[in-house]
Amino acid sequence: MIKKLAYAVGLPLILFVLWFVLSNGSENFYAPPLKDILRAFADTWTPERLRADVVPSLLRLAAGYALAAVIGIALGVAIGLNRRLRATLEPVLEFFRAIPPPVLVPVIMLFAGIGNGMKVIVIVFGCIWPILLNTVEGVRAVDSVQADTARAYGITGPARIARVVLPSASPQIAAGLRQALSIAIILMVISEMFAASNGLGFTIVQFQRSFAIPEMWSGIILLGLLGFALSLLFRLAERRALRWYDGLREAQRRS
Amino acid sequence: MLEVKGLRKVYRSGSGDVEALRDLTFHVDTGDLVCLVGPSGCGKTTLLRCLAGLLDPTAGTVRIDGHEVAGPPPGLAMVFQEYGRSLFPWMSVRDNVELPLKQKRIPRTRRLELVGEALDAVGLAGTESSYPWQLSGGMQQRVAIARAVAYEPTTLLMDEPFAAVDAQTRADLEDLVRSLWQRLRVTILFVTHDIDEAVYLGQRVVMLSSSPTVVQDELVVDLPAARDQLHTRADSRFTALRTHVYEQIQAAKRGRPATTV
Repeated sequence: MIKKLAYAVGLPLILFVLWFVLSNGSENFYAPPLKDILRAFADTWTPERLRADVVPSLLRLAAGYALAAVIGIALGVAIGLNRRLRATLEPVLEFFRAIPPPVLVPVIMLFAGIGNGMKVIVIVFGCIWPILLNTVEGVRAVDSVQADTARAYGITGPARIARVVLPSASPQIAAGLRQALSIAIILMVISEMFAASNGLGFTIVQFQRSFAIPEMWSGIILLGLLGFALSLLFRLAERRALRWYDGLREAQRRS
Repeated sequence: MLEVKGLRKVYRSGSGDVEALRDLTFHVDTGDLVCLVGPSGCGKTTLLRCLAGLLDPTAGTVRIDGHEVAGPPPGLAMVFQEYGRSLFPWMSVRDNVELPLKQKRIPRTRRLELVGEALDAVGLAGTESSYPWQLSGGMQQRVAIARAVAYEPTTLLMDEPFAAVDAQTRADLEDLVRSLWQRLRVTILFVTHDIDEAVYLGQRVVMLSSSPTVVQDELVVDLPAARDQLHTRADSRFTALRTHVYEQIQAAKRGRPATTV
């Protein structure tokens, strides 16, 4: 346990110390000493600022991510269960998926303005693809014996989707959600860099434009920490929800 | 009562049609236990899927309790060979057994009663909140049997249910099936490739030819109703019946090689 913790914390600690030591006494305006950055961090990210800039960002992220998850899973189940739908939609989906989402920010701005709606749409559009495509694959991969069992016992319609199809596809869906989370964070920041009046991305760009370099760096560190915390939360939730899957795989390895 | 009349199944594909079942006619009386044996690859699984309404036959009819089968019939339960793939690994043992009952809209108190009784009957009381993959293979198949029993079917189809468990577990499970059958008076069609098992379990044995399949022979097992692994299997009548079935299966293997139409 302690050894595991040491491995996990070791490298970040070394990097931190290296950065601290090497940047100490730096004269470069754009790469200030870490000491200054840390001081700026404490001064900049006060509770008021967190409320004014970080909370709106996180709310937009949550809205976009949740919407993408709901739409992606619902569409994915429909496409995965219906061969004709799949044949019709798959090429189109591959095309949309190939478009880098940041490119769409200006386009979506034209339609949805520069408010919260635009940012949420950008996040949805960017991070829905891994969720959708993984759900389709997961739904298609439902075991044939399980499918037969469900049918033989009259488990059809909504019950089949809720009790058999979705749980069976859930490991795949979780993989899609995990990929989508990091994309969503990136798009949250990018959408705020284009046009916004608050938010983390907006604030960092403001700092950069006003040459508040240590503050800019502190914002970047905060972003990194946020991303790390979110992925940690996701992993905890995933492990809880997919406990059966880990156990099953463990059992299969043993036999 | 399970009636199969003129059942035929041809798989159509680009590279030519494959006739799996040619012409099958047999029946299982209400409350009877009939075993179906045949050489490997004789289309047993195709037949069972047709009986369970999971596969549409090309010709012929299947009737269960007088109703023609078109889609899974409500009074029918099935136990699959691949227990590991037939139980849902994301559900506890209790939920696995209970799920089909929920679908039948049985009230909660009655459901829990049925689940408890069924798990008790297969000797698995106390495992309710385990996951299937935490149990041994034999215990998993017991869960699948409990699920079928709790469903209160009139007809029970068993597709080589013990092919994947070890010999000792298998003997226990055979006795379990006999005793459940005697207690619950359900109609059971038990498919197996094991001749001993067929004779030991069945009141009648239906022998199938190799594919394209027809009924090769039928045999009434005139052994006493109370059977046990030790004495029944040593009985001279048992060995005589067993030899008969064995000869028929050998003849079936030689007689008709698989053909493509």
